[in-house]
Amino acid sequence: MMGRIRVIPRGFAGPGVRFGVPFGALIVALLLGAIILAIAGNDPFEAYSTMFDASLNGWSSITRTLALATPLILTGLAAAVAFQMRVYNIGGEGQLYLGAIAASYVGLALPATTPIVLMLGAMLLAGATAGALWALLAAVPKAYFNADEIITTLMLNFVALSLMNWLIFGSRSFWRDPRRPVPSGKRLPENAVLPSLSGRMHVGIIIAVVAAILLWWLLRKTSWGFQIRTIGDSPRAARYAGMGVRSKTMAVLALSGALAAMAGFSEVSGVTKGLEPVALTSNIGFTGIIIAVVARNNPLGVVPVSVFLAAITTSGSRLQGIGINVQVVLLLQGLIFLTVTAGEFFVMNRISLSPSNVTEAADGTPPSANEIAEATA
Amino acid sequence: MNDSVLILSIASAIVAATPILFAALGEIITNRSGVMNLGIEGMMLMGGVIGFWAGNNTGSLTIALIAGGLGGVSLALIHAVLAVTLRVDQTVSGLSLVIVGSGLSSFIGTSGEPSLLSARNGVEVTSLFPSALRDLPGVGPILFGHDIVVYTGVLAVIGATYVLNRTPRGLALRAVGEDPAAADAAGISVVRMRYIATAIGGFGAGVGGAYLTVAIVGTWQNGLTAGIGWIAVALVILAGWRPWLALFGALAFGGLNGLGFTLQLAQVNVPSDFLKMMPFIAAYLVVILVSASPNRARRLAAPAALAQPYSREDR
Repeated sequence: MMGRIRVIPRGFAGPGVRFGVPFGALIVALLLGAIILAIAGNDPFEAYSTMFDASLNGWSSITRTLALATPLILTGLAAAVAFQMRVYNIGGEGQLYLGAIAASYVGLALPATTPIVLMLGAMLLAGATAGALWALLAAVPKAYFNADEIITTLMLNFVALSLMNWLIFGSRSFWRDPRRPVPSGKRLPENAVLPSLSGRMHVGIIIAVVAAILLWWLLRKTSWGFQIRTIGDSPRAARYAGMGVRSKTMAVLALSGALAAMAGFSEVSGVTKGLEPVALTSNIGFTGIIIAVVARNNPLGVVPVSVFLAAITTSGSRLQGIGINVQVVLLLQGLIFLTVTAGEFFVMNRISLSPSNVTEAADGTPPSANEIAEATA
Repeated sequence: MNDSVLILSIASAIVAATPILFAALGEIITNRSGVMNLGIEGMMLMGGVIGFWAGNNTGSLTIALIAGGLGGVSLALIHAVLAVTLRVDQTVSGLSLVIVGSGLSSFIGTSGEPSLLSARNGVEVTSLFPSALRDLPGVGPILFGHDIVVYTGVLAVIGATYVLNRTPRGLALRAVGEDPAAADAAGISVVRMRYIATAIGGFGAGVGGAYLTVAIVGTWQNGLTAGIGWIAVALVILAGWRPWLALFGALAFGGLNGLGFTLQLAQVNVPSDFLKMMPFIAAYLVVILVSASPNRARRLAAPAALAQPYSREDR
């Protein structure tokens, strides 16, 4: 008789599993991507080695990747803090636009001679506040009427997108440069630009990493963070314990919106140097959702995962040069999302191939009917 | 009178409602089995690109729609494996379908020389009824001016209502969505029912996407659904998981989508960016209003086991 495949729920997933499974899922996603590339008539090895060269091989490639990782860390953190509480903020994209609109407003409105630290601080604050308020448009109905935040945050993305487009393409707003014939944003003064560290990499990366550390501390080392995680794991228990689910729902969504909006600030100030809708609509908010899922909502995990996804994204233009469809970048992101989501099964459950008849599981729990039934290999 | 603003805008709202209706009907059936699939936007994009490709190659509307439907099914089955078999978080799984669908459809749509981006629409969509009926004053363009797919959408509403409410299979499907443990005890295969319902949902979204590319837009562009799939998700909540109400809701959203066209005809000057916001603001408000309605628990109940994975062990 052959052995049986048994599915055994894990009581607790150790760090090896929690890090190992998403890592394995990344490998599987890259293999699936290779198969699709091969079907499309490309050489997967050539594609992947080009991607590596374009994103991680050499200092200038690395700075380009880190420049792109900067907003991704922030939108990844935005998604992670909300997902931690099982509040699904899908509105990072729109909150980012609001952050970009508010931050660029302050940068353009304050006197150009404002000291740089003051100027950047005001822009950051204005952007984060705008993002938090935009998120509250979904958070308040969620807290008071249990209105599905997935749908409300998502709908607000489209509203924010049209608003930003209108400011530059549809009107002669304060943000639009009146002198240029092609619609584009007014350029920010020098003191409103995040200084470059090296090449395209700017001070924003430091802000993003500090934000990751602060968020990790907040979630793991404070009682507020403990309550957030408890609400996510068992909302009913949290309610009985009097944890104030309603106020925390609003606080978490506002914080999430503020983090996503900081990505908008970082992009207008450090990269586009003005409100440029086309450059700002590059899926940074949505990619943050993938990042949070791959990092399993761990703020410190968000940083390396963001760098990895930035590496994939930044190499897209180089792929075009060797005749490979640049859309493979989005496809790979989707495959990663998919395999990591599937991998969650292997985090929650242990698969055991027992060689003979069913014996007691290693962890002492007796085998159940479901484990024995079905799947016989 | 048949080219008056009112009549033309009602007729265009009906056409714009059709892809939303197919996607929402599919999602209602998926939801009624207890599976939540947020990936409509991705499935519509897959249906859109595959349907357009099939139409381009065969010139047949039927083949384009079926191929598009199967494109949606292919993604829906991935969701079924993740959500039903592996029992992962259905929200996350659905979101992953959106990214996979937009990535894969863009990849397919831009592959090959020349790519589908520059391909012409191979399908000619004609009105079902003769011009004698179409030219009837007032009712002609509204009731008789459309292609066969629009009327199929209305038939699908009737069919879905009948199957869900009046047949043993429909009852079994709803039982799985309300109380899977009881359904299981009654001998219904929860897993099989949920796979089938999820696949039907994918087919509906795929047909909607294909109709969008071959009959409404007439070209393929990456990400061409631009949020219509999400409108369908909101519509399902608005309709309280009932096909009939989805029909009227789809017409309302179709009207909002065509509002720009209408106002242009009426020579009212509203910035187009604000017109584009309208369906999304409406969906946002509708979801809040439905949630805040004091009577909603009784009138507009979601399936009791919606988005809850089922495992015999957890009984």
